[in-house]
This record gives sequence, C-alpha cells and structure tokens, in this order.
Amino acid sequence: MKRGGIVWSWLWMIVGILYFFLPLLATFMFSLKAIKGIYSFKSYENLFADPKFLTSFSSSVIWAILTILLGIIIFVPTAYWVRLKVPQLRPIVELLSLIPFVVPAIVYVFGLVRTYSHPPLLIVNSPGLLVAGYTVLSMPYMYRAIDTGLRAIDVQTLTEAAQSLGAGWGTILFKVIFPNIRVAILSGAFLSFAIVLGEYTLAQYLAKPAFGPYIGLLIQNKAYEPAAATIISFALTWAAMGILELVGRGKQVQLVGGH
Amino acid sequence: MTHLTLSNVSKQYSGTTVVKDFDLDVKKGEFVSFLGPSGCGKTTTLRMIAGFEIPSAGRVTLDDVDITDKLPNQRNVGMVFQAYALFPNMTVAQNIGFGLRIRKESESAIKERVSEMLALINLEEKGNSYPFQLSGGQQQRVALARALANRPQVLLLDEPLSALDAKIRVSLRAEIRSIQKKLGITAIFVTHDQEEALSISDRIVVMYEGKIEQVGTPFEVYNFPNTRFVANFVGSLNTADAEVVDPVKGLLSMDGFHFESAEGTKDRKKGDKIKIAIRPERFGFASEQKKANVVDSTIENITFLGSVVRIQVKIGNTKFNMDTFNNPFLELPKIGAMEQVTCSREAVLVLDE
Repeated sequence: MKRGGIVWSWLWMIVGILYFFLPLLATFMFSLKAIKGIYSFKSYENLFADPKFLTSFSSSVIWAILTILLGIIIFVPTAYWVRLKVPQLRPIVELLSLIPFVVPAIVYVFGLVRTYSHPPLLIVNSPGLLVAGYTVLSMPYMYRAIDTGLRAIDVQTLTEAAQSLGAGWGTILFKVIFPNIRVAILSGAFLSFAIVLGEYTLAQYLAKPAFGPYIGLLIQNKAYEPAAATIISFALTWAAMGILELVGRGKQVQLVGGH
Repeated sequence: MTHLTLSNVSKQYSGTTVVKDFDLDVKKGEFVSFLGPSGCGKTTTLRMIAGFEIPSAGRVTLDDVDITDKLPNQRNVGMVFQAYALFPNMTVAQNIGFGLRIRKESESAIKERVSEMLALINLEEKGNSYPFQLSGGQQQRVALARALANRPQVLLLDEPLSALDAKIRVSLRAEIRSIQKKLGITAIFVTHDQEEALSISDRIVVMYEGKIEQVGTPFEVYNFPNTRFVANFVGSLNTADAEVVDPVKGLLSMDGFHFESAEGTKDRKKGDKIKIAIRPERFGFASEQKKANVVDSTIENITFLGSVVRIQVKIGNTKFNMDTFNNPFLELPKIGAMEQVTCSREAVLVLDE
C-alpha cells in the first residue's frame, strides 16, 4: 500500500475511534465526579449499594436468558425448516424478521397491552408476555444470525446424510445442526442479551422490573449514577462481544480449514 | 436373486416428468451405474431409492419389502454424497460411529466397528482427526466408511468422485470397487463420466431425458449400443449419413464409398437414408490382403493423446477420427497424404434415427 493510503487509513480510523469513544470517555469521566473536586468511584459504590440496582439488573439478566432460550427454540427450527423445505419463502421470512425495526416499540407494546388485557387472553401481567415481547424485538438479530450460520453449512446434504444413517429430526437438529451453527447462535444470543439489557419501553409499560427503566428512573433523580450504570451496561455488553469473538475465532478456523 | 427392484417408477415435478417408467432389477452384490448427462434423471432415481424423493408412480422394493413410502431413516440404505457431507463438528471416528449410536449399539461394539471401518479405508491413524484436517479423497473414504458402518442393504453413491482431482478419482474408484466386492454389498453408482461407469460397473443403466436408453454390461453398452444416444454418449463415435445399396448384404454407400455392415439392413429398402456409426478405434490402415470396407482417405490431422494417437481422415466429404495405440517405433503418416483405411463389417453400426 502507498504511504498516502496508509496515512488516510490511520486518519479515518482515528476519526472513527474518537467518534465512538469520546462520548463514552466523557460519560465515564462524568461518572467519576460524584465527589466534588476529585475523581472517585463513589457513583459506582452508590449504585451497587442500591438494592433496586441488583433487582433490576438480575431481572433483566433473567429476561435476557429466557429471551435467548425462547429465541433459539423458535428461530433455529424455523430458519432450518425454511432453508431445507421452503427456500422460496426465505425472502418473505427475512422481511418478517425485520418488522421490529419498522414498528416502534411504543406501538408494539400498546398492541400487546390491548390484545392481552381481555379474557380469554388476560396475560398482560405475566412475565411470559415480556419475554415473548423481547423475543420479537430481538428477532432481527437472532433470526438473521442463525440464518447466516445455516448458510455457512450445507444444510440439505448434512440432513440427508444424517437421515440415511437413521437419524430422526430431533437427532439431526441437536447432534448435527445446533453444533455446527453454535457460533451463529452465540452471536444472536449476545446481541439479544445486549438488547434486553438496555430495553426500556416494553418493561416500563408492562410494569416489570428491568435495567432499562431503572436507568430511566435514575436519570430523573440522580446525576452521576445513571452515567455509572451506562458504563456498567457497556462493559457487560462488550464482555459479551469479547466472549463471542473468542469462541468464534476457534470455530471459524475449523470450518474454513475444511476446503 | 433380485435384491432391489424398481417397477414402473416415475417422478414428476409440477407437471414435468423427470423420470419415466423406470424398470430395473438389481441382483445382490451387483454394482450398477446410472450413466447419463445432467438432467437425465439419474440422481432423482437414486434419491427415490434413498427415500429423499417419493415416486409419483411405481414401486421400490428391497429384499421383497416395499420401501416406496418409507422415510429415509427407516430404510437400511447407505449413501455417499458428492460433497462428502461429513459432520464438521465430529471427528472421523464419531462420523463413522454416528449411525451405530443412533441404533443404540454398545460403546464396545461401536469402537470395534469403527476400527474395522478405519482399517477398511486405510485411515487407522485418522480416527481422532476432524474432517477439515483431511484431504478431499480421505474425506470421501471416511464418508464411504460411515455409510458402510451400519451394514446397509444397498450402498448408494451420488457422483462421489466428481469433486476430486483426476488422479485421486481413478485410485478411489478402484478402491470403492474393491471394497464393494470385498463386502459383497449391492451398490448403485451415479455418474456422468462414461469412463468411470465403464471401469467400475457390473452393469450400466444409460439414461436420457428421464428414460432408460439401455441396460447392459460395460462391454455390451460400449460395443453394441441400442440407440443413437447411447452410441454417441458412451465413448467416441464417428457418425455419417448413408444410403442402403443392398439390404440383404448390408451394403451401404456414404459419399459414394461403399461399406458393408454385419448388422444387415434387411428391414430396409434399397435407397433408404440411414445413419452409420464407427468407433475411432475400429478403423485402421488397410493391409494388402484386406478387401472389404477398404476406402481411400486423406490424412487431415494428427493429435497425440499419450497412449493413443488420434488421426483425422477425410473419406469423401466426411471426416472420421481413427485411434491407434501410440508406438514410438512406428512412423505416422504425413498430413495431406492419401492412405487406405478400413474397418471390419462388425464395426459398422446402423443406428436408429
């Protein structure tokens, strides 16, 4: 590469880093100013001392785990079946998976409340509805991640090979398909985790304890703690992404090396 | 004794017939190849035996049991795919033992069978390797071992050598044949490569546009093709328009040059237009004694193909290829030279239009 090209590459990379990291750095610096005149972790101490922090955070983690499980149960067989049996429907299913990007969360939550607040579907207070709602919100990430994973393997031939060896659908899914799209599932799972952890609207309007509404409440009443909570949320999300990168790297070598 | 039977099997996809009235009896331990160009229905037929496709009409029976409507995992049929289809998340040993685990065989039995299969394909030391650590040829041998581990009643091979390079293809096809003979297993092999089919099969089913054109041994299919398609598809062939001169003697005229055919043309009349076919290797330069089917020709081109030298000769207005074995001590004719060429009466085939 020419010298000019390298300079431009570095310049754009630095601009990009500054664009993404400066606000974060500012938030972090602000979160350290809880005691006037000195930098301290006081806001973090306050946060960890607040029982609502742990309640809301642990609730969100539980919602996230349940969302991921429900997402895997629904989207892996769906994406697999669409690829195997009705590939002509793939564009339609892909389009459907994008609906959460088009419909605002506030519209969606009012739809849920309206639909599920009358008998015989009076489940508006059930945590299940919140998890189902989160599953729909995370659908674009989960479905597409799984679909991309399935694209990387020869689904039809692997399925037929397993069938010819006597395997039924359950064995094929759990022994052949799941292990070979593990990284894709993990990728979708971490994205879903990040979405659920920061989500505000659904939990707020379905009146369930969650980390998003907690941060919202903090913003209204405190100055430095919301910044600390935001940094914690970022750190957890990045930790999740880091794990994904580590897990993905090892697996990728194995799949690529086969050709 | 008939082992696998396909009776009047047809397959249609939204009104298009891809396999039509397919009838075949395969004996136990026989190696049968389905040979034909792309889209002739050979893979569809194989997939109907495997259970991946359900016939629109007709029945498939295996050891007198009707398996037409059985699911693929309920038929005891092993399959080897073109793309190997090894499970990337499993080691070679786990791949081979996959079917045995589904059958819930004991761990010791699985271990023993896997070792047996690894020895069969000469990959004893690769049991703990993953598929990506193997070459294409090794992966296909593992796929073969995996298909055989379950002791299937029939082994189906769907163009298993197509993804391999030429040298490995030749060695692996010999290995497949040797293993098949050793185990005495019935095998159906799909290929579009005539050399592969000719070299490996007990019988060849030549297919074209969903129908069987001819079933026969490699010798029969090559030397006595039933139809013009088979003659053209299997091996190289010179074809030319001709006219019947004497139907009783089988005397034919091509561009004014006379040929006699042993096949005879008794069912035709003098002056009938026909098509004659002669294999390149059935031509030779005429010796002094030779009298029948000796014609004058001009040497048009000479191509060296290694073990064979292909000489293009012009007889009248028609060009023919003539193949002779390469002999470094034999002088080849010069391009443009006039030479007399000949072929036996038996070499002149009269084809159906």
